Amino acid sequence: MVILMSGIKKDKKMSSRDSILKAVKNNKPELLPLPEIDLDVFNEDINLLETFIKSVELVGGRAKVLNSISDLDNEIKALYPNAKQIVSSVKESDFGTVSISKDTDPHSLETIDLAIIQGEFGVAENGAVWISENDFSIRVLPFITNDLILVISKDAICLHLHDAYKLISKRERTFGLFVAGPSKTADIEQCLVIGAHGAVSLTVMVV
Amino acid sequence: MAHAKEAEIFNRDESKVNWHDKALWFVRNKRDKAGSNVKGWEELRNLASAIKANVLSNLDNYLVQFEENAKKNGVHVHWAANAEEHNKIVHSILSKHKVEKVVKSKSMLTEECHLNPYLEANGIEVVDTDLGERIVQLAKEPPSHIVLPAIHKTKEEVDVLFQEHLNTKPSNGDPQYLTSEARKHLREKFLKADAAITGVNFAVADTGGVVVCTNEGNADMGTHLAKVHIACMGMEKIIPQEKHLGVFLRLLARSATGQLITTYSSHFNKPAPGTEMHIVIVDNGRTKQLSRDDFRASLHCIRCGACMNTCPIYRRSGGHSYKTTIPGPIGSILSPGIDLKKNSSLPFASTLCGSCSDVCPVKINIHEQLYQWRQIITKEVKQPVVKKSVLKITGRVLANSKMYGFMGKSARFMLKHMPRFMIYSKLNAWGKARELPKVKDGNFDEWYKKRQKNE
Repeated sequence: MVILMSGIKKDKKMSSRDSILKAVKNNKPELLPLPEIDLDVFNEDINLLETFIKSVELVGGRAKVLNSISDLDNEIKALYPNAKQIVSSVKESDFGTVSISKDTDPHSLETIDLAIIQGEFGVAENGAVWISENDFSIRVLPFITNDLILVISKDAICLHLHDAYKLISKRERTFGLFVAGPSKTADIEQCLVIGAHGAVSLTVMVV
Repeated sequence: MAHAKEAEIFNRDESKVNWHDKALWFVRNKRDKAGSNVKGWEELRNLASAIKANVLSNLDNYLVQFEENAKKNGVHVHWAANAEEHNKIVHSILSKHKVEKVVKSKSMLTEECHLNPYLEANGIEVVDTDLGERIVQLAKEPPSHIVLPAIHKTKEEVDVLFQEHLNTKPSNGDPQYLTSEARKHLREKFLKADAAITGVNFAVADTGGVVVCTNEGNADMGTHLAKVHIACMGMEKIIPQEKHLGVFLRLLARSATGQLITTYSSHFNKPAPGTEMHIVIVDNGRTKQLSRDDFRASLHCIRCGACMNTCPIYRRSGGHSYKTTIPGPIGSILSPGIDLKKNSSLPFASTLCGSCSDVCPVKINIHEQLYQWRQIITKEVKQPVVKKSVLKITGRVLANSKMYGFMGKSARFMLKHMPRFMIYSKLNAWGKARELPKVKDGNFDEWYKKRQKNE
């Protein structure tokens, strides 16, 4: 059988890299076109803020709409009255009690109760917020903190991920992520439990 | 052992099978709901399928482009022709850094390569950090599902397991309590790990970055605390451009669990200052599958598990009955390409109902490929004499309408008049564990003719 025999015949002198690439070249089919993404198919005229809030709740998070950024600290105080070790990377918030820099040992963040991080924008279809390393200095912060607050502007909500990738196409690429809700698992008999390894709650403040 | 025999073992506990069946069907329904709420869902699937087809037709160039861009970002790129080489590469990176403790997030590739036993034999502690994977690791079992690794375990079984290994209190299987104990237990492991291993959901050729998706946050807890991050990927994980992530991330979680998106979709492009990042690109039989016109599309798979959740056979036979790293419909078209003889019963573990193809986010024609493998297997692998002769006789009967009518009549007569112990005997596989239907007089043909006469 031809189809069962033609695999890699590994040449002893050739590196795995070259032998793999050679085999791919020999075995791949004729070039097929890369399709264009036609956004008209996916676009909808819907209320972005309302949809976003609904999606945040659906993924297990909580969304709060603030009239002014000056309300931020009062709102946080009301939600997390017992938080002591707090890192804030949002310049409008004076709530931070622990300051971090690029040199902070990520392990030392193990005791952080609350992190307040500036998000860049939200995605209406799935309630995700894009945050990048520039917004939180130490990569592990949004995961290791017990509770997480993300702050976004109400004008910074896009419809779907296609638009989201347009918004981040020009970024400096180091590390960044979409966060949608608190960490969760359903690995024990499919029962949803909020709070697996990452933050046990997520609040998105929309200003 | 053939799949049907393995499935018998799983079917000994009827209530568990029923639960398993319903739980997965529930996930399938959630998938339907999530998909139907997306405008242009079918177009999204078409796009994903066409992008993957383009990837496979240009894979060598995309791989080179990916490597070049990843290296520019300060990432080390390695190539492994097979599982053995993959394991050696990972071990050599860990040795260089004198790593003793590793945390690993979900990666079906490292399961396929049997990385854990290899590293353990070399004195390295490997802890699986996805809760489901940790459960099966403690139970010394392989995952039974690619997205829900411990779906075959009851909460009471997890309770007993955790009492033994994590010193938990008996809780009658309280998921909240057990999860919080696992969180504490694994937090310790994250904080002490020297290196983190992750899989890769998507590798982007035009940026050299990789995306890793989890709900628990375990991949990120591992990678951002350890000094070394090793990401292991099958070579088919490549996508051409970053904007294509928009297509695949919209499909992945919705198809997998009915979620809108996973909690964390992390985009790794450059290692953090003072840390190292490695990517291992693995072939292990994939270029062989690429050469097979009929089966190439199986490499489109994005490992969502939707085909498992919907499959009437998988739901009632359990993932372990397949005896392969990837079980279920997709596994049954991938595995014969790796070892035809060993996996020759898998393409028959299907009703060919086509539900797998209907839910596949990248539109793999799974049921057609199952059928194609059957054609090859019946030629290449010795079939049981009984099966062969029965099928030969059946073929003759079905080709002859008189004989077919006679056989039907005799069967109806026998079912009606033969004693129970003879009908439900070893000779009649259809009478095994099920009641046969009550026999009606006449067949469809007779009924139809009579009906026409009366009109």
